[in-house]
This record gives sequence, C-alpha cells and structure tokens, in this order.
Amino acid sequence: MSLKSIRNVFIQVPLVLWTLIVVTPFVIIGSLGFRDNTGIFSNPFGIGGEFHPENFATAWVGPVGSVGLGQMLGNSLAAFVFALAVNLSLGSIAAFFVTRLPRRQRNVYLTIFVTGTVIPGVLILVPMFRIFNGLGLLSNAVAIGCLYGVLSLPTTVLILHGFFSGFPEELIEAARLDGLGEIAIFVRVVLPLSLGALTTVGLLLAVSVWSETQLAIALLQNAESQTAAVGILGFQGKFVSDLGPLFAGLSIIMIPVIVLYLAFNRTITKGIALGGVFR
Amino acid sequence: MTVTSTSSLPASREGGSTAPRRRRRRPPFAYVMIVPPLVVLLATFGYPIIEGVRISLSSWSGVGPLNFIGLDNYISAFQDPAVVQSVLRTLFYAVVVGLGVVTLASALAAAVSRGAKGSGFYRVIWFLPSVIPVAASGVFWSTAFQPGYGAVNKLLGFLGLGDDHAWLGSSETALFPVMAVAIWANIGFAFLLVLGAMEQVPVSTYEAASIDGAGPVRQFFSITLPLIRPILVVTIMLQMIWAANEFSLVYAMTGGGPGTSTSTLPVFIYNAAFKFTEYGVASAMAIISGVVLLIVGAIGLRLSRAKGDD
Repeated sequence: MSLKSIRNVFIQVPLVLWTLIVVTPFVIIGSLGFRDNTGIFSNPFGIGGEFHPENFATAWVGPVGSVGLGQMLGNSLAAFVFALAVNLSLGSIAAFFVTRLPRRQRNVYLTIFVTGTVIPGVLILVPMFRIFNGLGLLSNAVAIGCLYGVLSLPTTVLILHGFFSGFPEELIEAARLDGLGEIAIFVRVVLPLSLGALTTVGLLLAVSVWSETQLAIALLQNAESQTAAVGILGFQGKFVSDLGPLFAGLSIIMIPVIVLYLAFNRTITKGIALGGVFR
Repeated sequence: MTVTSTSSLPASREGGSTAPRRRRRRPPFAYVMIVPPLVVLLATFGYPIIEGVRISLSSWSGVGPLNFIGLDNYISAFQDPAVVQSVLRTLFYAVVVGLGVVTLASALAAAVSRGAKGSGFYRVIWFLPSVIPVAASGVFWSTAFQPGYGAVNKLLGFLGLGDDHAWLGSSETALFPVMAVAIWANIGFAFLLVLGAMEQVPVSTYEAASIDGAGPVRQFFSITLPLIRPILVVTIMLQMIWAANEFSLVYAMTGGGPGTSTSTLPVFIYNAAFKFTEYGVASAMAIISGVVLLIVGAIGLRLSRAKGDD
C-alpha cells in the first residue's frame, strides 16, 4: 500500500513538470502584458515591476499611425462569420443529401472531399494570390473568410456525414408523410436536431480561422484588412522598443480561444478526433 | 397499364418514395443538392493547382500576364543549393518534431492511462498550446529565447548555464528552439490520440501480465506499445506531415532566418514569392514539395483508414 502511494507520487512528478511547461508561458504572457520594458528586463517571469494596464489600450489602438488589435479582431470576426456561413451551408447540404445516395456513389463523393484534407496549403498559396489579385479581392477579410469556409469543407463534411448517417430514418419518414418536401425536411427537421454537430463544426472553424496566417499573410496585404493572427506578427516589428503592448496583444488574441476552449473542451477535442484533421 | 401509371406518378413527384426495390431510396433531388458544394470545392482546390502549374512554367513578377518559359524554374530550383538544403532541413525538422511529439505524448499518456490522479485536469490543460494561434505562441517563444530578458535564458542562467545565448540569432542553433516549440505546441493532439488507444487495451491483459511478474515498465514495452502500434504509426505520420507543412510557427519565431537557416519549405517558398518576387521559382518549389507531401499524405490517409477498418 505505502509502496503504491510512493509510486503514485513518483508518477506525478513528470506530469506536474509538463503541466508547468504548458502553463508557464500563459502566466508569463498574462503578467508581462502589464509591465514596461524596465519591468520586463528585470523580471522576465513577470513577478514584480510596475503596473501598466494602459498597455492593453495601446495594443488595442495600435502603434501611432497604424492599425490596432481592435480593428484586427473585427476583421477576424468578419472572416469567421463568412467562413461559417459558407462552410455550414455547403457542408451540411453536401453531408446530408449524400446520405440519400447508394453506398458506392456516397463513397466516391466522400473520397473526393477527403482528398481535400491532404492538399498542402503551400500548393495553393501563390496561385491564390494571383487569383485574388486578378479579382481585386486582395486585402479583403470577407473574401478570405469565404475561402476559409470552402477550404474547411472536407473536415466539415466528414464530421457532419458521420452524424447524419446515424440520423433516425423514422423522423424523415414521418415528416414526409406529413407532406414536407425534401428541402423542408432538411431545414425544419434535420438541421434543428443537428445543432450539436453543427456547433462542433463551428467551434473547430472558429479555432482554425482565428489561427490561420499562411494564406492571410499573403492575401491580406493592407494592415487595415489583417486578421489578428497576422497582425500580431506585425506587432513584433512595431513594438521592438516597447514590449509591454506586444505581450498585452498576445493576451488579447489568446483569451477568446482559451475561453471558448475551456467552455467547450469536450466538444472541441471530440470534433478534432472525429475530423481527424486540424488546421 | 394502370400499374405503370400509378408507380411512375409518386416517383416523379417526390423522388420515388414508394419504390420498394431498395431499403434506401435514391431521389434524383439529392443529386441536384450535392452538386453545388462539389463544384465549389473542385473550383477552390482544383483551379489554383492548375494555375500553380502554369505559374511554375512561367516567369511572373507578381503583376501582368504569364510568360511561358518551360521548365526553367524547376531547373534553377534544383540547381540552387539553398533549395536542396531547405528540402533536407524540412525532412529533418519533420522527423525530429514528429518523433519528439509522439515519444513525449506516449510517455505522458502511459502515465495518465494507468490511473494517475488528476488525469481529467491534465487532458484539458495539455491541449491548450494546440488551441491558441500558433503565430501568437511563436511570437511569445521568440521573446523567451532572447538573450538577457528571455524567460528560457533566465531559467538557464538560474541553473548556472548562462543567460546570454542568442539562440535565434545564430544560424547554428536557431532551428532547435523552433523544433522544441513545435513539439510543445503539438503534443496535446498526439497525447489524446495515443491515450485513446491505450485506454482500449483491456485491463485483464495487464492483470495477467502482472500475475506473470511483469512490472509496469516491462508491461509498457511488451504489451502497450505493440498493441497501440497502428495508432502510433498514424500519429507519427500525421505529425510529420503537419510539421513539414508548418508555416506560422517558423515564420513567427524566425521568419526563416538568420539567412535561410530555419527556412523549411513553406517559409522558403513564401519568402521566395513575396519577399524576392520570384513567383515562378516559388511555384515550381511548391509543386515539387506539394507532390511529395501529397504522396506522404495519401499514405498517411490510407494508414489511418486501415486503422478505422479494424
């Protein structure tokens, strides 16, 4: 018994150590956001130093003559809203109506979508720049949002298809007997009963849109149009001599996802396991 | 005659709801609905790939029409030692990060799966680095590796190892902090996958083994690892593919520098295109690396599907 409890303590050591490695950066970011350079250089772990909450206002408004995180969060939000609309409408239609097809045709259709999950982003980067340029859509957060919506379709269709193929056929049959057409059944019966699956998809999309930088850094050239994830890269250069607002900016950008994750961690991790692919 | 008319009527109205041939009906209506998403998907993925091939065969400076120049971009890409180095660097980076992530994740999962206290808490917390924007963690860690005030250097100084290492400033050392952070950022997902697999191993197997006198370490290597091998293979593949594709973290921490010493392919290609406006060469490299990654990705997909069939 005592041998076992000694072993239990022993086993906790690496676990606690790893937890510290995971958590410490967040603690450092959180507290350095309130410091000035003097404080940061003398107390790099954020313990001690003067208190400068105005760093958050500086990060929100941005360096003089430039754009702050406030506007960039707005851009991220706009991109997400349009990504969500495109992704959920196309994705739920594809995933539901394909369950109405015979097995073989369904597999062909799904395989095409699955293939989309393995196409590396670097392959479409330059051509997307040329296409967006040609269409006059560079520096347009809404346009890149719609692009995100389509690029995430494979994951969405896989997750929703898994859900819809278990949808009780009796409910659809009953609605059909009540005289509902195919679209009415989908909109008024299937979708309202699928809010859980749709939420999973929406959360995954939120996390990935919030983080995406590879396309955004090429397609959102004006600072006014940039999403927060790209904007924070620019902050690195702009706040070289004033690190407090940089750390405040990191807090601002991380807090929404952390809150979302802590509130919905089961849904998010389950969704990631279902989709198999992230980013 | 009456038979044909009654059976064709409902079929034409509501997609053959009375057809008794198959258990699952196949109304033509569904075909109409699934076409638009497919067209949008193919247009968004397919057209840029074709366009990318065209750009790779052209000289293009970012504006105006494409001038066809044949395979020149591919030839100059292969002749540039920096490109070859970047390919090798990407492989090295992917292998180290992939193996590092899965090794650490397996060790952590092994501890948690045998009922360590607080496993619910660890599961939630350890995933945090995978949720926050990679660009943001890259920016933070690049400050942490700065000489003088960086948290990592301060910690090393506290341990008596000196706090003035310019980790990211030297082309000799810059790739290692990036790989370490990549491992930090990706363990959460691998941990959950491996843990899920370990929890599928029946407890009775372990009980039988301990009756036979096998200790926990022996059990881990002789029972757990062989039984979860399929998941381990898939996880390593996925992690390597993701690492080879990683742009945000590397770019946020080093921008690919100093020089090109940390330019894995995605960063190298981005810099070639958008910093040096060599869009043609960048596209040629993108096509080459894209094909390689696609093949690796297809193998990974095949493996992960084989796992699902079990």
